[in-house]
Amino acid sequence: MKKIYLHNKIPVIFKENKNTPRMALCLYFKIEEQEKKAGLYSILNRLLMQGTTNRSAEELAMELDENAIECYSEMKHDFVRFKVICLNEDIEKALSILEDVVKNSTMNDFSKEVVKMKGEIEAELDSPKSRAADAFYKTIFDGLSYGHTYTKTLEAADSITEEEVKESYKNLLEKAPKVMSLVGDFDEKEMTEKLNKHFGTLSNPPKEANDDNVEHLTKNATIKVKKNDASQAQIFQGWRVPTIFAKDYPVLMLLNTILGASGLSSRLFVELRDKKGLAYVVRSSYEVYDRAAAFSVYIATEPKNIKTSLEGFEYEINRIKTTPVDETELENAKNNLIGKRQFFTETNLQQSSLYSFYEDKGLGYDFEEKLIAAVKKVTAEDIQRAANEYLKDPHVLTVLAPEEYLEF
Amino acid sequence: MENIKKTEIRYPFLPSPVEVYERENGHKIVFAKKEGGLVNISSWVKTGSINENDEINGISHFLEHLMFKGTHKHPAGYFDRTLEAKGAIVNAATWKDYTYYYVTLPKGPENSYFYEAIELHGDMMLDPVIPEEEIGPAFSLDDNNVKEKRERHVVIEEIRMRQDQPWTKVYNEANYNMYKTHPYKRDVIGFAEIIASVSRETIMDYYRKYYTPNNITTIVAGEFDSGEILEKVISAFDFKGRQNTEKNHFELDTPEAKYIENYAHINTGFSIIGWLGPVACSIKENIALEIANIILGEGQSSRLYQNLIEKAKKPVFNVVASDYYSFRDGGNFFVQANFKPEYKDEAVSMLKDEVEKLSETGEREFKKAVKKLKVRFAESAETVSDIADTIGYYMTVCDNIELVEEYQKELENINLSEFKNLVKKYLPLDSAVVSVLMPEKKD
Repeated sequence: MKKIYLHNKIPVIFKENKNTPRMALCLYFKIEEQEKKAGLYSILNRLLMQGTTNRSAEELAMELDENAIECYSEMKHDFVRFKVICLNEDIEKALSILEDVVKNSTMNDFSKEVVKMKGEIEAELDSPKSRAADAFYKTIFDGLSYGHTYTKTLEAADSITEEEVKESYKNLLEKAPKVMSLVGDFDEKEMTEKLNKHFGTLSNPPKEANDDNVEHLTKNATIKVKKNDASQAQIFQGWRVPTIFAKDYPVLMLLNTILGASGLSSRLFVELRDKKGLAYVVRSSYEVYDRAAAFSVYIATEPKNIKTSLEGFEYEINRIKTTPVDETELENAKNNLIGKRQFFTETNLQQSSLYSFYEDKGLGYDFEEKLIAAVKKVTAEDIQRAANEYLKDPHVLTVLAPEEYLEF
Repeated sequence: MENIKKTEIRYPFLPSPVEVYERENGHKIVFAKKEGGLVNISSWVKTGSINENDEINGISHFLEHLMFKGTHKHPAGYFDRTLEAKGAIVNAATWKDYTYYYVTLPKGPENSYFYEAIELHGDMMLDPVIPEEEIGPAFSLDDNNVKEKRERHVVIEEIRMRQDQPWTKVYNEANYNMYKTHPYKRDVIGFAEIIASVSRETIMDYYRKYYTPNNITTIVAGEFDSGEILEKVISAFDFKGRQNTEKNHFELDTPEAKYIENYAHINTGFSIIGWLGPVACSIKENIALEIANIILGEGQSSRLYQNLIEKAKKPVFNVVASDYYSFRDGGNFFVQANFKPEYKDEAVSMLKDEVEKLSETGEREFKKAVKKLKVRFAESAETVSDIADTIGYYMTVCDNIELVEEYQKELENINLSEFKNLVKKYLPLDSAVVSVLMPEKKD
């Protein structure tokens, strides 16, 4: 693995995996300015694949499909990321299509795209879990673009203008710092030339340094969502916690593994599912963005179990705050976390995505090794301290259930 | 020394042929080689809801949960805890034709994790205890005072979860009406009433009947020495003379058109239009329906997306797609849509029109779909889990891994005219089952 720079100083992470039939490329555009209206960047992202000055949307989709090239963009609040996967022999074709999409998107189908997006959101909100998650995330990330959920987007969609989207696209091209990563079976010299030809003239300003300052919640919030025909209650409880830039990032990752993310052997799974039969799905999550992160616990359970489930959450969170994790459990959690990292880097696309993700964050493409070393150093005291420091009020609680069960 | 028959099958995008070992008792072991530090060990059992009736609907899936509840050597939780502490992903899944159990994990220092995983996986497959206290006492669903809630409740929660998913509801209704008598008509997860009351004895009888040597294929994918691992798998899979069971046979159904409408507290409309597909081992016919699926409903260049959303004169549809599930005795092809409820009749009619227009498929669209299918093989050879899943499917549903090679050949040979004939045969509008889920009242 190595890092080179294009003429415009875009860093490119190269990793050669010989004898693999498909190459994977990721191109990151760092978003340094949060969207002003919920859904603005989502519409921009959708329009990126909706035609260029050289290809209509249909021609673009057809050309990609005919060549079996996967090329798509994703908007993740802190960045817009293009992912490209193609057979090795089609890489030049794939790069020229990507260049066209990046540089020449017309953004012409604005109104139609807004209608399509609203329709998809309406369909998604017919899922009780999506409705509960929407209520949870817009509250826990209130005031930040990470809280721009489906319902927030529906509220704002009609106020977004075509000019705002075109202006955002222009900003993305001109003001966003960029990072690339290519993984597969290729000749480095040849690919450097190709990438310079297609992307070596893109504007690439220096990026601002990230820091670990995050805004905190100021008060507890309980949101009750009525859904009278729901068979299950959907319960989310969460806290704002530090991000990937904080010293406690590996500690929080381990706390998450122990509490509810290690698979079938986490504490929440064993205690609330195996021993109490309260749920099929029960877990914890640690979702990390640049300016904020949320640590949450989730359960879907028969509505009459709401109180028991909340007591179960409270018991397990108190337990991890008051009793140090024993050495075996800590060691097991570390091995689980470290071992599972291999699954995130099995394919060329996964590798490309991970290296450019870290590089985009300013952590360095080899951050994975540093992270693993840091995980190994975490102590039982660290876990207990972090649980006490971060899993405390204020918190956000969201419960979706039939009305009669919402008095708890 | 046991007599073992070995065959080798060329498998696209893998450096060496796949090795198939058939033991005297019928247990099959398959090795697929892929470089890297991860290995996947899985066992595929030829049973699922296909072997159920109305009295035991859901037992295959319930048993799958209970297989994780300990053996005579190891208590409940040991398997998950031990392997997850080595970075493993362990899980299982049940479908209509099969149930499979897998472990994917790093090989560990001197293959130590790998060896332990084979041992624990074999132990779990062959010696489940299924203790009463893990199943939990039988109970009535009307009883609000059940204190001891164990795995019965976990599965009932899974049933509840699915009851809240509009897509699952609308699909299940279509699937139920696509078959008249075939067991495929039943949902794999079954009914809460059955899970609440089925006895341990019934579950153990079912286990003994179907978890037999000739019903199980064990697959290992990764980088390893065949001789060494074969010995370990054979040692871990000592069936101790367990007798094989004859395969159940069912009559194929004759497709018949139907329209079913249900209601839920939702704001948009959902629909599935389904047809019966060919048997899984008819490779060319399956390829034809896979091509139809790509042309019709896969991705933004698909016809459904382009014609019903991208170029729509009015916004009838929010989501459109199609899919094809291949089953041993005859699968499901279906188009699915989410639409504005006021356009219900129009939506169903527009979806049917798009299926009918498959007869006008041109060479360019056809070739695009064929290329996509070819690349899918490259894709499915990228991870040890995907390789094992493809092999497991062919070994279990089709009884024949050589069909992987046949698939490649048929994909090269199939032409547009054959494709159109097969679409005409399998997707006639006069046998479509239409399931619609509409808003009842708004919350």
